[in-house]
Amino acid sequence: MKRATPYLLLFPALLFTVFVLAYPLAQNLFNSFHSVSLVRGTGDWVGFGNFEKVFQDAVFWLAFWNTLVYATVGTVLALVIGLAFALLLNLKIGPITSVMNVIYTIPWVISPVVAGFAWKWLLNDNFGIVNHWLVSLGLINEEITWLGSADTALACVIIARLWQFYPFAMVMFLAGLQSIPHDQYEAAAVDGATAFQKFFHITLPNLQSVTAVLLLLGTIWSFNDFNIVFVMTRGGPINASMVLPVLVREFSFVQFDLGKGSALSIVIFFLLISLSLVYLKIISRREPE
Amino acid sequence: MTVCEDHWNTGTTMKRLIPLLILSLFTLTCGEKHDGVELQLWNFGGTPKFIEFLRARIDTFQILHPTIRIVQSEKSWNMIREILYSNLSVGTGPDIMNVHANYGAEFGGGGFYYAVNTFPDFEEVKSWYQPNLIESTRYGDNYYGLPCSAIAFTLVCNKDLFDAEGIAPPKTWTEFRTAARRLTKDIDGDGKTDQWGLVLLGGDRGGFAYRFAPFLFKAGLNILSDDLKKVEFNGPLGVAALKLFADMHQVDRSITPGFLAYQMSEINDLFCSNKVAMSIEGPWWRSVVNQKSPGKQFYTVPVPVPDHLIAQYETLPTLQDMVMYAISAFSKHPQESWEFLKFLRNVDADMHWVTEDFGGIATTTQVLNSPEAEKWEFIDVYRHELARARPWPSHPGIINIANNVITPWCEKAIVGDISPEEAMAGAGAEAQEILDGKR
Repeated sequence: MKRATPYLLLFPALLFTVFVLAYPLAQNLFNSFHSVSLVRGTGDWVGFGNFEKVFQDAVFWLAFWNTLVYATVGTVLALVIGLAFALLLNLKIGPITSVMNVIYTIPWVISPVVAGFAWKWLLNDNFGIVNHWLVSLGLINEEITWLGSADTALACVIIARLWQFYPFAMVMFLAGLQSIPHDQYEAAAVDGATAFQKFFHITLPNLQSVTAVLLLLGTIWSFNDFNIVFVMTRGGPINASMVLPVLVREFSFVQFDLGKGSALSIVIFFLLISLSLVYLKIISRREPE
Repeated sequence: MTVCEDHWNTGTTMKRLIPLLILSLFTLTCGEKHDGVELQLWNFGGTPKFIEFLRARIDTFQILHPTIRIVQSEKSWNMIREILYSNLSVGTGPDIMNVHANYGAEFGGGGFYYAVNTFPDFEEVKSWYQPNLIESTRYGDNYYGLPCSAIAFTLVCNKDLFDAEGIAPPKTWTEFRTAARRLTKDIDGDGKTDQWGLVLLGGDRGGFAYRFAPFLFKAGLNILSDDLKKVEFNGPLGVAALKLFADMHQVDRSITPGFLAYQMSEINDLFCSNKVAMSIEGPWWRSVVNQKSPGKQFYTVPVPVPDHLIAQYETLPTLQDMVMYAISAFSKHPQESWEFLKFLRNVDADMHWVTEDFGGIATTTQVLNSPEAEKWEFIDVYRHELARARPWPSHPGIINIANNVITPWCEKAIVGDISPEEAMAGAGAEAQEILDGKR
């Protein structure tokens, strides 16, 4: 009985994993090789037919490109902003630092759906505060249709995304900055290094692994991000801001082609698995010997 | 503490916890028990006033039928197809639900809805309704629901702006375009346009198609042929209808520039703040406007017709939409569901559609011709339009064609990515593939 107890205790967690993770994954894999429609039910084995349909769909390639841009640009910019704020906070200029720390972190704790709606209104072409400010400052002559134009919609969702992600980068960078040995800066000061030289030769190299982890996590999370894009644009106008997770919904629950939706999910899954493996490799490198 | 002691303590705690867990489970499963029949009613969307009415109606029904209990759940109208398909396709879901009447073809044809004409008293019940409205619930030989809120698409014109400009609501496409152009202007004199002639619901695929289709119908076009085998909306008049909007957007700039992102709330804001003069809406518009600008005045007129068809202004159809109440084919209690449906949609209940504003038009002949109906704002135009209005063709693929074919192609043409001719040719070809079962 004693030997069985740990397994018994683990059983609920195992059961949960099977039903919440393994079963849906297996079902998804099954669907991706079958003609499955919510309307007509499960049909025949189609081999790689659903994958072919995905790759032949022009919207997939547009969404793939958009997702790449969304994930990389959004993450890189969030990292730059996060690092800038982390450097400011690391200066520790009195009690204001703690207050600013909390303020800067607010976007991270706001629900992506709420953030999406907030940004949608901020960027509204007629009533949005962004246009109002830009016109007041004389930066633009006419209101810009931020979310209604194919030229700007993707940029808008990227801005919302980086606004949500930069606080996480900031907190990680701040922790990284605080772990850099101070004697490195002192030695550099003795050698007459300028602030820029210290930043590029001490700070950045010390933050290398944090940066790598953040880049990967940011990319993975952005690849998976559905909420902000769906709430702000639903992938529109005319697919201009379509990203892969929103396209999965489009295939599965708008076109009701679960086979095609599942095939796309599998494609995304393997893309993310590859990125996750890189992430795990970096993490394992950071483990102390 | 040793490992053994630790195990022992865990075991003792578990022994104490297990009876507690069993007791909790027992308490949870021993909820209110009902000996009679329980019916699940899924209500999609609706105004707060309507939901209140529905609850009151359920309460009354339960008093009259103590053995039947109705469990009402509120669901999102925007996700209606996803919710219904994901439930009905696996044989679950509600007993009763309110849906678009044109789902009869898709869901009824798919075997998900109960054919209500199989009930012995159906013919009597059928006689309550306006014939063209009850016909909208039909697919093939079967009727799949009882009419609820009828909708005819009309043009709503902002009275403040039209009166200030001294123009009347348009009747022809030329008048429509001219009115939109005249009402597009720089009001505050800062050199920028801040008032537009027309707004379109571009951010909602279904919403856009439902607002474009009335122009096709008013041009005398069919969406599909009578035998439902050929696409017909892509003819020269279809191209002309699309070109009208493309020119208004690209040449006149009289359609709000950001329309592709708009949902209903943005349209309402623009209309109520006098930033737009016209929109294509239905009988819900009064309650929608009242939410933001109570009592705001607007004209409601038929959708304009092509200039050469002005003689038929009074007779050309607009798009009819309708909500119906349907019974699931998987319901274990179809007879009880039918009893409730009749109670929910009888003449007495329908009277509330004219005495209160539920955002739709009554559907029973008696109520539509009652003195109470005369008091309902815009009843004349809606009754007139509804009598001639046509629903989407009764084809299982029509929602797919409307939302995923007509809308994206037409929107591309309106913003100038492609020409109206290319858009109609592309939309026609894709729609034909759906009809032919190739997509």
